[in-house]
Amino acid sequence: MKEKRKRRMLILAIPACLLLIWLCTVMGAASVSAGEVNRILLHEIFHLPVSMEGISEGSIAIIRDVRLPRVLLGFLTGAALSVCGACYQGIFKNPMADPYILGISSGAALGAAIGIVLHFSSSMAGLSGTTLLAFVGSLLTIFLVYVISRRGKRVPVSSLLLSGIAVNQSLSAFMSLMMLFNQQSMDQIMFWTMGSLNGKGWNQILSILPYILVGIVLLMTSARELDILLMGEETAVQLGVNVEAVKKKILIVSSIVTAAVVSATGIIGFVGLLVPHVVRLFTGPKHRLLMPVSLVFGGTFLILCDTFARSILTQEIPVGIITAACGGPFFLYLLWKSRKGGTV
Amino acid sequence: MKKQMLQIQEACAGYEEQEVLKGVSFSVSRGEFAALIGSNGAGKSTLLRCISGLLPLKSGNIEICGKDTGKLSAKERARLVAVVPQSYEMEYAFTVEDVVSMGRYPYHSFGKRETQEDIQAVRQAMEDTNTLEFCGRLYSELSGGEKQRVILARALAQQPEIILLDEPTSALDLRHQTEVMELITRLNREQNMTVLAVLHDVNMASRYCSRMILLGEGRVAADGSPSEVVTKKNMEELYQMKVLIRENPLYGKPEITPVRVLREERTDYPIRIHVICGGDGAVKIIEELEERGYLLSAGVVNEGSDDCAICRALKIPHVEIPPFTPVTPEDQRNNLKMMEDAEVVLISDIPFGQNNLANLDGLEQIKGEIFFHKNALSNDYTGGKLVERLEELGQKKKVIYFGDHDEFLKRLSLCRTEGSKKVKEEPCG
Repeated sequence: MKEKRKRRMLILAIPACLLLIWLCTVMGAASVSAGEVNRILLHEIFHLPVSMEGISEGSIAIIRDVRLPRVLLGFLTGAALSVCGACYQGIFKNPMADPYILGISSGAALGAAIGIVLHFSSSMAGLSGTTLLAFVGSLLTIFLVYVISRRGKRVPVSSLLLSGIAVNQSLSAFMSLMMLFNQQSMDQIMFWTMGSLNGKGWNQILSILPYILVGIVLLMTSARELDILLMGEETAVQLGVNVEAVKKKILIVSSIVTAAVVSATGIIGFVGLLVPHVVRLFTGPKHRLLMPVSLVFGGTFLILCDTFARSILTQEIPVGIITAACGGPFFLYLLWKSRKGGTV
Repeated sequence: MKKQMLQIQEACAGYEEQEVLKGVSFSVSRGEFAALIGSNGAGKSTLLRCISGLLPLKSGNIEICGKDTGKLSAKERARLVAVVPQSYEMEYAFTVEDVVSMGRYPYHSFGKRETQEDIQAVRQAMEDTNTLEFCGRLYSELSGGEKQRVILARALAQQPEIILLDEPTSALDLRHQTEVMELITRLNREQNMTVLAVLHDVNMASRYCSRMILLGEGRVAADGSPSEVVTKKNMEELYQMKVLIRENPLYGKPEITPVRVLREERTDYPIRIHVICGGDGAVKIIEELEERGYLLSAGVVNEGSDDCAICRALKIPHVEIPPFTPVTPEDQRNNLKMMEDAEVVLISDIPFGQNNLANLDGLEQIKGEIFFHKNALSNDYTGGKLVERLEELGQKKKVIYFGDHDEFLKRLSLCRTEGSKKVKEEPCG
C-alpha cells in the first residue's frame, strides 16, 4: 500500500513540475501577464496561429530570448547534474559523492579562469572562449584523474576518490594563484565559479543538449547494473556484472555530461548531491525509478532556485549561492538522520 | 560415471607476492555436497574467489561444466556458479524481492524486460528458502538468519549448476546455523544441486557433507568421506593441537573434540600410574596425566565408553571388555597384572555396580599406593557392597581418599617437588 501511494505521488508530481516551470517563466522583473506569456509561447515556440495583438516587441523578446531559454537551460542543467549525481553515488557507494567529486569543477574553473585572464574572446558556434576552455579543462582533469588512479585494467573506487580530491585541491590552488596575480579579473572569476544561468541563451542550450540527451539515455541503460553495484563490487561480479566496464562507462559518460553543463553555466553546486538523496527517500534505491525522477525533480529544483535568485533582490544572485544555501542545512539533516540509525 | 561439475587442475593463485594456492587439484561431480576445510590462511576462500572469477589464476585451470572459467564472461559464469558469502550487510533500502531479483541479472539482456520465467524463478527461490512470507520487507531490517536465507534465495534465482558457500553460517547462532545447513542439504538432496562449501566447523562439515576436502598450505592435504578425512592425524596437523575424534552417536559421523593447545608442564618424575575406570568419568584426568608425562595404564574399561575412547586415542595400555558384561576373574587378573609395577593406583570417579565391583578384587596384593575418588561413593549401585569392600581393603592397605581430580593432581606434584619418591601420606577423611 505504501508503495502504491508513493507511486501515485510521483505521477502527480510530474504535472506539478510542469506547472512550476510555467510559473517561473511568468515570474520576473519585467511584468508580462500570464495571458501574454501563454500567447507568446504558443505563437513563438509552437508556431500556432495565435493573435499577438497588443503584445510589445520587448515582451516577446524577453520571453522568447531571455526567460524561456533560461528556464530551459536551468531544467537541463539541474536534470543532468542530478542524474549524474545519482550515478556517481551509485558507483562510489558514498553518500558524499556528487558530479564534482573527481575535480571536474576545478578543471572547468581553471579553464574558465585562464580564458577570463587571457581575455580569450574568440568564439565558436556562439560559445565564448571561456566556455570552450572550461570544457577542455574539465575533460583534461577527468582524464588525469582516471590515468592516475588506474591499476592495470582496473579502476578502484578508492584510488579514484583520493586522486580526485588531490587533483581538485591542486587545481584550486592554481586558480587561487591566478586570481592573486590578476586581481582585476578576480570578480569575474569568482562570479563564474558561483555558477549562474544569467545571460545564457539558445546557443548554450543547443550546444549542451546533445551531450545531455545521449549521456542520460546511456546512463539510464545501466540502471540495473547500478542497482547491483550497490551490493558491492565483488558481489556484482559474482552476479554477472562486468563491473570494470560498467564503472568506466558511467564514469566517462557522466563526466562528459557534467563537463558540458559546468562549462556552460559555471559551478552550480549541491544540486547533484542533494536531489538524488531526496528523491531516494521517496523512490528507494532502485535506479530505474531513481534516475528519471531525479531528472524531473533536479530540473525543477534548479529552475525554482534560479527564479529565486533573480527575484528576491534587485541585484541578481548567482544561483550557485542559492543551491549551496539549501545544501548546508540538508547535510545537517542527513547527519541527523544517519545518527538516528536511518539509511541514506 | 557422474558428470564432472567442477574440475580444478594444479590451480595456483595468490596476492601480490604471496602465493596462497600452490597447485590445488580436485573435482566435484553432480549432486555432491563437498566441504572445503582447512586452517585460516590455507586458501579456502581464495579458491572460492578463483572459482567465482574474482581472482585470476596464476597457473593451472578451473573448469565449470567443462568450460574454462578464465574464458567465460561474467554473465556466463554467473549462470553456472552462484556464491553465498559469510554474511552480507547492506544499508540501502532494497526489499527482499529486489535483492532476490538481482539473481536474475545474468539472464537479462539489453533492453529486455522481466520475463515470466524470471518472475517464476524468483518466486521459486523464495519458496525454497522460506523467504516468500517476508518478500516485501526491507533487507536491512532482517535478522542475520533471515538475511542469509535471502542471499541463498538470490543464489538460487541464478539457477546455477553449482553453489559455492563461503562459511555461510559463521555469523549465525546455533539455531540459524542448523536451519541454513538443513536448507542447503535439502536443496542438495531434492534438486540434486552441487554444493561446495567452505566450512569452519569441522563437525558441521562432517555431519552434513558427504565429502570433505582438506586444504593445507595451499594444497589438498586430504580428500574423501568424513571418516577418511576427520582423523586424529589430519586434525592435529590442521589445528596444531591435541584433539579427540569419536563417532557422534546420533549421526554416525566422526566428531572432533578440541582438547588442548597450550602444553602442560611435564613432570620431572614420570611415575607409573594405573587408573581404574571404565565409564565416562576419567577422560579428563587420564588426558591430563598423560599430558604431564606420567606413564599410564587403565582398566577395566567397557568398549564404547569415553574412558575406552581416550585410552585408544592416546594409546594407553588398558584392559578392555565388551559393553554391559561383568568383569570376570580373568579380566581382573589382567588388570592386576597391569597394576604390578604401578606406583600409584587411582580409583577414579566411576559408578560401581555388581558388574564392575570386581575391579577392586585383589588390590591388597599390589605395592602401589591407592587413591580413591570420594565421589564414587555417591554413585554406589552395589547396595552397600562397595563400602564393605573398601573397609575390608582399608584394614590391609592404606586407601587415600580425595575430593576431586585437581586435588589428586596437586597432591601428586606437591610430593614430587618435595623430593620424596613416595606420595605424601596425609590422613584424608
